[in-house]
Amino acid sequence: MTLSRRSLMAGAGALAGVSALTGPAVAQGGPLNVGFILIGPVGDFGWSTMHDQGRRRMLEVLGNRVTATQVESVAPPDFDRVATQLVRTGSRLIFTTSFSYFAPTQRIAPQHPNVMWESATGTATGPNLAIYNARFYEGRYVQGVIAARKSRSKTIGYVASFPVPEVIHAINTVMRGAWSVDPQMRIRVVWVNAWFNPGREADAARALMDQGCDVICQHTDSPAPLQLAEQRGNVFGFGQASDMTRFAPRAHLTSSVNNWGDYYAERARAVLEGNWRPADTWGGLGSGMFRLAPFTNMTPEEASEAARIRDALASGALHPFDGPIVRQDGQTVIPAGQRLTDDQIRAMNYFYQGIDVAMP
Amino acid sequence: MTLLEAILLTVITASTPLLIAAIGELVVERAGVLNLGVEGMMIMGAAAGIAAAITTGNSAFGVLAAVLAGMALAAVFAFLTLGLATNQVAAGLALSIFGLGLSGVVGAPFVGVQRAGIGRIEIPLLSEIPFLGPVFFAQDPFVYASFALVVGVSWFLWRSKAGLVLRACGENHASAHALGYPVLRIRFLAILFGGACAGLAGAYLSLVYTPFWTSGMTGGRGWIALAIVVFASWLPWRAAIGAYLFGGITILQLHAQGAGVPVPSQLLSALPYLITILVLVLIMRLRRGGAAGPAALGTPFVPDR
Repeated sequence: MTLSRRSLMAGAGALAGVSALTGPAVAQGGPLNVGFILIGPVGDFGWSTMHDQGRRRMLEVLGNRVTATQVESVAPPDFDRVATQLVRTGSRLIFTTSFSYFAPTQRIAPQHPNVMWESATGTATGPNLAIYNARFYEGRYVQGVIAARKSRSKTIGYVASFPVPEVIHAINTVMRGAWSVDPQMRIRVVWVNAWFNPGREADAARALMDQGCDVICQHTDSPAPLQLAEQRGNVFGFGQASDMTRFAPRAHLTSSVNNWGDYYAERARAVLEGNWRPADTWGGLGSGMFRLAPFTNMTPEEASEAARIRDALASGALHPFDGPIVRQDGQTVIPAGQRLTDDQIRAMNYFYQGIDVAMP
Repeated sequence: MTLLEAILLTVITASTPLLIAAIGELVVERAGVLNLGVEGMMIMGAAAGIAAAITTGNSAFGVLAAVLAGMALAAVFAFLTLGLATNQVAAGLALSIFGLGLSGVVGAPFVGVQRAGIGRIEIPLLSEIPFLGPVFFAQDPFVYASFALVVGVSWFLWRSKAGLVLRACGENHASAHALGYPVLRIRFLAILFGGACAGLAGAYLSLVYTPFWTSGMTGGRGWIALAIVVFASWLPWRAAIGAYLFGGITILQLHAQGAGVPVPSQLLSALPYLITILVLVLIMRLRRGGAAGPAALGTPFVPDR
């Protein structure tokens, strides 16, 4: 069952009445109802699409033991109402699938101790709050390596969403990958201050291309920047969240393809079997939480190099956050021989030395 | 192509949907009707446009369908506000919400379908003028349509009798009625024109700008078009300035970011809106108060016999 926020709101009054009468018993008798709150439309081809596919996969695996209620395009200010409504209508496990929802989830979780909350890309757990994410930065490292091979202008363009640690460490990692091939590589960054706004994403990509960037990385969810690269010709790009090859058959290099389904199924099963625990899951390429789409528009040598790097990351032989790590201002974060902890990666709020872009 | 030319080209493409929709709304408001449903009509145009273009395989049919979809939604608005004399603000807001929802339904089967956008048409001779040529005369057909709309609407409103009558309906509908002009019919036609323009602007988004369908793809451009009409103090050529200013700042702030100008990106993103407010304040100061808009704007008209 997929609901729009509005239709859910429309039914709110009636449903509130029902749950007031029957209480939590609604949820306990029948199958487990799992709630999903999505930041974008299911049809964004990116982040939200992949969570929707994860939900479908969960339903497929667990069959009639679970049902799902999904609300798409929920703006952060509407989050509390939507979440409360899901609780009232009987969801006992709720996935809040955006970093923008993390703070509100943290606030609302203690108010509903009988509901298990799971926040994608969150940064802290609670008694009934788990967090989960994929180590997308591993894919970013591969992107950097490929970009350095493909770029003639030696400049990468980065269509960024918001200056949050997830995006900042991705930018740093792209450059780390690029510098491993060519230390002369540079990057330009444009913040569009949106996760999904096709028109603005395209405008940003256009500006970057006009300024000489010939490989575009995007940290936004629509295929617009990639599609623009296709139109321009001689510009390459990477897909975000889902395999976007079809949007740019001649410009697409690879995509990070998210796969939440197995995790969702596993967590819902844990609730059903009564052994759900608040966990902090951060799965890399090796875990299957995401994979890289087949390499396209690359020479066999380039593709095999990318595949080699990918496999080294998956096996743990290569780690993008090994020291030395030096901040833009010259301050050393960790010396050679050390590695950033997960918490340090998740809190990253600085660019590396060598990136000549100011933090907004 | 130089960077400046590239920037100007981008500014024009970013401004065109705003301009087309604003010109349509300007005519509607000049007739005394406030239609806040531009966003809804625009996104219906985008959905219907790409749906028809994919189904028939012909972009021209897509454009036609977009215009008709915008007009159909406008007709609903006209029925409510002219036929039933309901509150225009409420009806317009409802139209926006309705359009956003309905477009999702119409567009659903076309999610993820990929097609080539409408290309550019270079006008012979004119496109060879250095600098101005590639910027103004090597554009897609919608850009030319927007130029034509500004000139055409400007001429219509101030140089034709029909335009004078339309403006009279917007200034004082009772007088226009007393003089024997069919106020409601004129307003109906103006609303349809506004819907057609909004639909066309939507088609630009889904057929040229980002040629695919996603729900909510207008991203608030309909509301910006409404702001531009006020910004322009209901004059077509000023609407063109407003649209280009708005599009220009949007694009320039992206370029400034890319070039590493050390200004917070959040502030840069807010700049177009701040400037709109600033200009509005300036206009009202220079006018020393007093309404700039058509006097009967937003007031329903019920013929007394």
